[in-house]
Amino acid sequence: MKKRKFKFAILATLALAAILSGCADSQQDKSKEVNVYSARHYEVDKQAYIDFENETGIKVNIIEGKAPELLERMKREGADTQADLFITADMGNIYQAIEGGMTQELSSKTIKENIPENLRGENNEWVALTKRARVIVYDKEKVNPNSLSTYAALTDSEWKGELLVRGSDSIYNQSLLASFIADEGEEYAKMWAQGIVNNLARDPKGNDRDQVKAIAAGEGLVTLVNSYYLGQMLNSQDPEEVKAAEKVGIFFPEPTHVNISGVVLSKYSSNKDNAILLAEYLTSVKVQKAYTEENYEYPANKNVEPSELLLSWGELKPQELVLSEIGRNNKKAVEIFARAAWK
Amino acid sequence: MLKRKPGFYGFASTIIAILLIFPFGDLILQLFEKPNENWMEIKEFLLKDYIGNTLILVFFTAILALIIGTTLAWLISAYDFPLRKFFRWALILPLAIPSYILAYTYAAMASYTGVVQVTLRSLLGTGLDQRYFNIMSMPGAVFVLSLSLMPYIYMILRAFMEGQSASLIECGRMLGKSHLGIFLKVVVPVSRAALVAGTSLVVLEVLSDYGVASYFGIQTFSTAIFRSWFSLGDIDSAIRLAAILMVFVLVLLFLEKILRGRRSYSMTNTKHCPLSRKKLRGPMAILATSYASIILLLGFLIPVGQLTYWAILTYKDTLGVEAWVLSLNTLWVAVISAIIILVFGIIIANYSRLKNNFLSKIYSKISLLGYSIPGAVVAITMILFFIHLDRWLAPLYKIILPGAPGLVLSMSLVLLIGAYVLRFLAVGFQSIDGGFERIGRKYHDASKMLGHGEVSTFFKIDLPMLKPALLSGFTLVCIDVIKELPLALILRPFNFNTLATRVFDYANDERIPEASVPSLLIVLIVAAGILILNKTLDKEKNNEHKN
Repeated sequence: MKKRKFKFAILATLALAAILSGCADSQQDKSKEVNVYSARHYEVDKQAYIDFENETGIKVNIIEGKAPELLERMKREGADTQADLFITADMGNIYQAIEGGMTQELSSKTIKENIPENLRGENNEWVALTKRARVIVYDKEKVNPNSLSTYAALTDSEWKGELLVRGSDSIYNQSLLASFIADEGEEYAKMWAQGIVNNLARDPKGNDRDQVKAIAAGEGLVTLVNSYYLGQMLNSQDPEEVKAAEKVGIFFPEPTHVNISGVVLSKYSSNKDNAILLAEYLTSVKVQKAYTEENYEYPANKNVEPSELLLSWGELKPQELVLSEIGRNNKKAVEIFARAAWK
Repeated sequence: MLKRKPGFYGFASTIIAILLIFPFGDLILQLFEKPNENWMEIKEFLLKDYIGNTLILVFFTAILALIIGTTLAWLISAYDFPLRKFFRWALILPLAIPSYILAYTYAAMASYTGVVQVTLRSLLGTGLDQRYFNIMSMPGAVFVLSLSLMPYIYMILRAFMEGQSASLIECGRMLGKSHLGIFLKVVVPVSRAALVAGTSLVVLEVLSDYGVASYFGIQTFSTAIFRSWFSLGDIDSAIRLAAILMVFVLVLLFLEKILRGRRSYSMTNTKHCPLSRKKLRGPMAILATSYASIILLLGFLIPVGQLTYWAILTYKDTLGVEAWVLSLNTLWVAVISAIIILVFGIIIANYSRLKNNFLSKIYSKISLLGYSIPGAVVAITMILFFIHLDRWLAPLYKIILPGAPGLVLSMSLVLLIGAYVLRFLAVGFQSIDGGFERIGRKYHDASKMLGHGEVSTFFKIDLPMLKPALLSGFTLVCIDVIKELPLALILRPFNFNTLATRVFDYANDERIPEASVPSLLIVLIVAAGILILNKTLDKEKNNEHKN
């Protein structure tokens, strides 16, 4: 009997301890921290947070994850969320956050100076950190780049059985199709998706790097890839990846679909000042340089030049469209993919 | 006194069962809402594919794992051949590689830049045509999943063959049956229960697999749940899909019960003597050794070799202080979860041992629930539940610490550990339940009769006898937690990463070579666990023989 009570006492103490330690945890010096939900997990990002901590003394707490899952978590947490900033690698998820009423204006003079207007939300509810181009990658040996022109030209019969793409689960493909819906309408997007599916050399599978490797392997002649993957492959630790990447060429269709990696400020941020400081820091020349030099993305800061490798690939002529349209049409894009049987 | 005590177990079991069921409340409620447009879309265009792919994947993986697992178990327990002793434990090792890591590794190896194609190119000047040699396909997924899950069947069956079925096999031999005859006519029918148990583990794992299917681009129920939830932002459809999956699993568990039969083959005496092994000679011995070697190579040595090669390329960037922090995080979360699971498992299993009634049967079934549901569904369920809990507890937080934030538990490790407990209770419970079954209740009753209370009976009589079962349950849970991915990914609190989440981060950024160091650390830790487990089980068996 006695021991039983004893057990309960232990359990109760443990429960209380858990709650208390949770409280204590979140009671650390509030003024000196900022909480980030981030879907970017690159070394450059981690280094940027460390540098920010060292320079400002503000501790950066991070939860990493996939964007949709972090988003769902923020949504569920509602007004109680401890997230101050939400960083994603694509426009679609930023749009979801804004539509879900989870954001507030990220207004800062520094950011306005750093980032051009078209790379910010209409009311500064989102700010781009990097630009990411979805380009055509082709077999250098067998394809004459002169035969390439636009995304639409890939649906021509000359590419029948020669196309490789990634699955429609990929947010990069969804955003690409969403941009067509916004630009040219739903019918056009449907035709395009169907046209691509008709020309496929194999069922969509693998990630972006796998498409590049498959081109090198001769499984197909052309594919769609985010350009920084090629940069990462060319600088890979694995010598075979470098060899494969050297076998392919890169072509910028005109206009090129550009997605962004960006940041939003949580509506319920409790460390708003620190959050804005961190967002400003991420748009600064120093961090933006790292994004392009080490991660091969296009910088969003207008005063930072793309890295040499990127410049050597040629000039990027991005689609002229309001970026939030990509987010708005994401759901439709997913539906069209499903109907076109794009796996 | 006697009457009141099981009351404690009943009471505690009820509380645990409610805790386990409660989080699913939200899910179940959503199910009664009217289906939305998306659902119609899914039903019309996609559902057929999801069902078809899932069934194909489950069926062929189960068959292949079954073939490999049974033949190996039979070979190891009935014959003697070179290196048999080594293979006996080494063949469990494929379990140490999480299937998503095996998938990344094989996909990279078979790809254009992988070792297979590169070697062929340098030897023959041409590689295999990827159209015919492509691992990122349904057959590839079956290959990867059956290799990594095969040990479940092998382990369960081997234990059974080495123990219980020995006398029957001896009879078969004495009656002059051929090798194949004994295997098909004696071993397979007799070990039906063990076969079904192993196979259902494999099936459950395949059903909840997300990593392999999504990486290989195969649309199964699990990937579809993720897709509707996260791509379409459609929680209702995701829940509907999850519900279909759950019904499927329940039917399966019901089938398992029928298939296991009434254990009509149970032995007439409790004394098991070890099976005397036949020595294989000449070509047969070579054949046996080669077969076991091939499986071990494919399931463990080759992938680990590849991971090691990558680790040599990348360790400078990836093996720092952080790697040790990640290992520690991984370990202590696993240990805490395992301890809680054991406590819960003991309570429920003991209740069902002492009171074999309707309620206790229900509780045992409930403890299996979390294991049969894909990790992602458990994750979202837990978030919903803990946020409700936090809102409900908010006044209490304010009393303890004015100015405390609204969300405390759901921002802490309590959430993640709670999810592990919900998901893996089944694993611990099965071990403990098996342990209690072996002990029976006669010692317990004797102790009570002699005037000991429930508590002292438990600590003095049951616990020492239960030790092997506890140890194996503990290790199994730890292994599962360390390998687990979606829960850790979705539920980790601020600044908390584990080895598995780091592997995923790298893999998600398409940096497979960089993922090798954390992957290898997982493999090492889990392999160590497996060896401990194997030792424990062997010791237990030897003790049984002595008795």
